[in-house]
Amino acid sequence: MSPPSLKSAIELVGVSKDYRLDRSTSVKALDGIDLAIGEGEFVALIGPSGCGKSTILRLLASLEEPSAGTVKVAGGPPAALAAAHRLGVAFQDHALLPWLPVARNVALPFQVAGRAVDQAKVADLLRLVGLTGFEAARPSQLSGGMRQRASIARSLVLDPEVLLLDEPFGALDAVTRRHMNIELQRIWQERGTTTLLVTHSVDEALFLADRVVVMSKRPGRILAIHPVPFARPRLPDIMRAEEFHHLADRLTLALEPESRAA
Amino acid sequence: MGRASQIVYGALGVVLFLAGWEVIGQYRLAGLTWPPLSTVIEFLGTSSRWPLFGRALASTMSSAATGFLIGVSLGLVLALGVHLLPRLRPGTDRLAAMVNAIPAIALGPILIVTFDRAGTPAALAAIHVFFLVYVAVSSGLTAAQRAQQDLLTVLGAKRTMRLKLLEAPAALPAFASSLKVALSASILGAILGEWFGAPRGLGVIILNAMENFQIPLLWSAVLLAAGISLALFGLATWLERAVHRRFR
Repeated sequence: MSPPSLKSAIELVGVSKDYRLDRSTSVKALDGIDLAIGEGEFVALIGPSGCGKSTILRLLASLEEPSAGTVKVAGGPPAALAAAHRLGVAFQDHALLPWLPVARNVALPFQVAGRAVDQAKVADLLRLVGLTGFEAARPSQLSGGMRQRASIARSLVLDPEVLLLDEPFGALDAVTRRHMNIELQRIWQERGTTTLLVTHSVDEALFLADRVVVMSKRPGRILAIHPVPFARPRLPDIMRAEEFHHLADRLTLALEPESRAA
Repeated sequence: MGRASQIVYGALGVVLFLAGWEVIGQYRLAGLTWPPLSTVIEFLGTSSRWPLFGRALASTMSSAATGFLIGVSLGLVLALGVHLLPRLRPGTDRLAAMVNAIPAIALGPILIVTFDRAGTPAALAAIHVFFLVYVAVSSGLTAAQRAQQDLLTVLGAKRTMRLKLLEAPAALPAFASSLKVALSASILGAILGEWFGAPRGLGVIILNAMENFQIPLLWSAVLLAAGISLALFGLATWLERAVHRRFR
């Protein structure tokens, strides 16, 4: 489960991130983060809100620079992978372009890369996320869940080397969310893309990930890394297994060290 | 408020305004210089005067259209320019604001010397239009949401690709809104420009009628200018709505 034998797709060494508020005060969002994620691994990042989970993701997506330490994705700086159009992301905000129909939103990465749009691939992914028949719809005509699924299809359309997911199912209802989790596992198994998922949900993390990284409140530090022992493919049934509950309880406790002391 | 009652209230307002105009004119409540609406319409409706109004209108509209096209092109080009070369922005912003802040009456002589009397209406219209379009488009180009900007960064978009796929479409609603205001501004600019000695135009009629106390002629020219302005404004509002529906 742990990656030393694998080649690292993502590597954070001694990473800190400070945000300057004004001339004299700054906030430490991340402190001394060391994390290596192997090629083809699925890692989930959980922690209380404001713990810097999303900051880690933004560092890996080349949207922020670390204040200290090094960040490497696929052996190089994150910006190099982004410039090579080999990075896939889905944010909490679907960030679909309102003036483009769904199919063209999903095809957007092809256009950005200056490549011919592979229509078959777009159709394939739309089928995968259950949006067949909505190709010509505009984002404003879709439900929140459908928009989120469109943004996930978009993140996969160029077969990225690394997939970064920031709470992509956060706004969905429980049923849709579970359905999306099952779909995401299937997509991941089919492709073996290295994936980092930021989530609030312990269940989601356990269901999907090879390892779960638990972070502390600000300044964000890594409290614990838990390997998830369940065999794949995982069926929704495992969420009812005793071992699942046991692990979920341990992770929930790890999330709130204060409540353990109480 | 429903759409139907909106129209009813709007129509009621227009009727009240026109009726008020007529009453004030008939009873000379505002003196001799306020003719009743019916007198103005009768004056405008006399076919022997149509060639005069036709020539003036054609001249004003052609100045306004020329100024509009030049102003829009200039505004677009400069807004795109400062967007791609941000170092030029502070200077260009200030220059645009300064040109706009100078009263037309002060610009007039400079324009006459530079573009001669016949070219001044178009030049003044262009200045007004340029400013409106420049301000709207240069802020519209930064109107895309943060998450959409981030997405293009992560996808590895180059500068021109980002402009084409995200920033330009995101600026279209602001551009459409500025065109709406710029249409009336171009007519206003052209009429003002004609006061500096243009050979013909609605502005010339207005000025001459005022100086010679030809009250019905004065009001006819004003009514004509207002009517054209309003018609264009309505057309542009329709265009603006279509763009907003599509791009927001």
